[in-house]
Amino acid sequence: MIKEEVIKRINKVFEKDFEIDLKRLKPDAQIFNDLGLDSLDIVDLVVALQKEFSVTIRDDARVRNIRTLNDIYDFILLLGEERKKENIKE
Amino acid sequence: MERYNSIIVGSGISGLTLALLLAANGRKVLLLEKAPIIGGCLSRFYKKGVPFDTGFHFTGGFVKNRIMEDMLRVLGIRDSIHPILLDKERSNRFIFENEGLSLEMPAGLEQCCAKLENYFPAQRVAIRNYFEMVERVIQSTPSFDLRKISFSPEPIEEDYISLQKVLDSLTQNQTLKAALSVYCMCYGTKPSEISFANHARVSIGFYDCLTRIKDGGEAFIRAFSQAFKNYPIMIRCNTTIQECLDIHDGIVGRVLLSDGEEVAFDECIFTIHPFEVLKIIPKQHFSKAFWERVESFEPSNGFFSVFGAIEGEKVADNFEPSIVSLLPHSDINILLDPKYIGPQALAIFQSLECAKDKTFHVLNAFEPSFFEQVAPWSNSKVGHRPQGYTDYKKQRVQSICNRIQGFFPEYKDSFRMYDAASMLTFRDYLFSPDGSAYGIKQKVGQFNLFGKLPLRNLYTAGQSAVLPGILGAMLSSFVIARALVDKDAYNNFINKSLCP
Repeated sequence: MIKEEVIKRINKVFEKDFEIDLKRLKPDAQIFNDLGLDSLDIVDLVVALQKEFSVTIRDDARVRNIRTLNDIYDFILLLGEERKKENIKE
Repeated sequence: MERYNSIIVGSGISGLTLALLLAANGRKVLLLEKAPIIGGCLSRFYKKGVPFDTGFHFTGGFVKNRIMEDMLRVLGIRDSIHPILLDKERSNRFIFENEGLSLEMPAGLEQCCAKLENYFPAQRVAIRNYFEMVERVIQSTPSFDLRKISFSPEPIEEDYISLQKVLDSLTQNQTLKAALSVYCMCYGTKPSEISFANHARVSIGFYDCLTRIKDGGEAFIRAFSQAFKNYPIMIRCNTTIQECLDIHDGIVGRVLLSDGEEVAFDECIFTIHPFEVLKIIPKQHFSKAFWERVESFEPSNGFFSVFGAIEGEKVADNFEPSIVSLLPHSDINILLDPKYIGPQALAIFQSLECAKDKTFHVLNAFEPSFFEQVAPWSNSKVGHRPQGYTDYKKQRVQSICNRIQGFFPEYKDSFRMYDAASMLTFRDYLFSPDGSAYGIKQKVGQFNLFGKLPLRNLYTAGQSAVLPGILGAMLSSFVIARALVDKDAYNNFINKSLCP
């Protein structure tokens, strides 16, 4: 996955599923403070991202450290890399 | 306008548990039930004086130090619940019809392990490993200690791997895999879909000892009703919430009840099916992502049930409470697949039931069923079913009766059928959206609907929240109660009843 494509797809999730205007989706936007999501929205965000990228997102430290939109982009890219490695191993 | 601290929607085991926990901690509670009586699928029905259970047939966990005992003790109703342990040699049998193999499952994890090693001597390592894994899951599940429960316990590795994957890694023996996954039928999710951890959490009670409760679910309803007398709990049947009103800053101020009355409240907890919750909450206050997540949940299977009794002079002296599971296929995934059209699994429960000083030899039988099978008549209601449905029901009853009498030839003349129920029957009597027996399927990696909703004084609990079945339904209510009454008050409350 190239980063531009990941950004586009993640932004689409925010726009479509959380009705947030594309203009507000800056990479350094804080998910809670700037985009207005609260802790209760996080589960829905995780589920929507899982569906969009067909990945499993575990409730682990890496997820809990996510603060900005850019953190999400990087996290999804990393998951993609990890999956690629897994597939090679199998 | 009347004001309550807590409104609880749904009076199944989860709603009853929550009502008692909250009221015992000083809250004024309104308990709403859509049906004419409380209890949900705990309720029984009577045909010509014979008592039959609708949705609660057996459980497990009546063993020292298990959480079921602890929960009942904290609720103060343990002494009103009389477990009947199915711990005899032939109390619990799995019959693999194709292989002509009959497995007798004893009580006790260690005993189950040893017995299966006997049946499958070449598979000893696989069997040991399986039971060790089950034990490890139980030991590393914090919510199995009432003092440590919380909304988001740290998941363990086994939460992310399916039962099927674990079985495949342990053995190639298909019959053994089936024997280790028969209990999937007790929560309605395929081995390939359930996490190993949740399979272990539900099955441990059955491995400990399958248990009937004297007087079935009615014993629970009676015990709770008695306990409610000590507290400010208002019960309203034939009532649900029609509309959420007065919504400001993510908080609902009042609700309009279906009988036209408005009530104010601090918090409202839904213990009903997630799809029924969607019918009540105002859509505009929830994200599309929330809605899509909940709508994507899949139903667990339901059952086609035949209710009957063994009658006549020659009722076997050795009639004992027991469960026999007839398995016409050795892949439980297939037996729980709606598209499968071969013979279904059949569970036959026998128990002695008393009503009005009379004892009955009750025999009920349950085949997994899927909504697809009754979909053509899904618009019809009780008492107004079309002929096609009547024919379907008749044919399925006949086939089940034949199988009962085929397995127990001694009941050829003495088995009498009293009633039968399809998924539509369950749907319409129990107000479940699709007649499924265990709410939604709780699939590996899935985020269930549990806890606080985006309208922040609305919560969800129930059997679709953390773990299917009575144990999970009760547990979800303890977690909510802990959050609502605050941690210290909760700890003081449970420590009064639990041993140190």
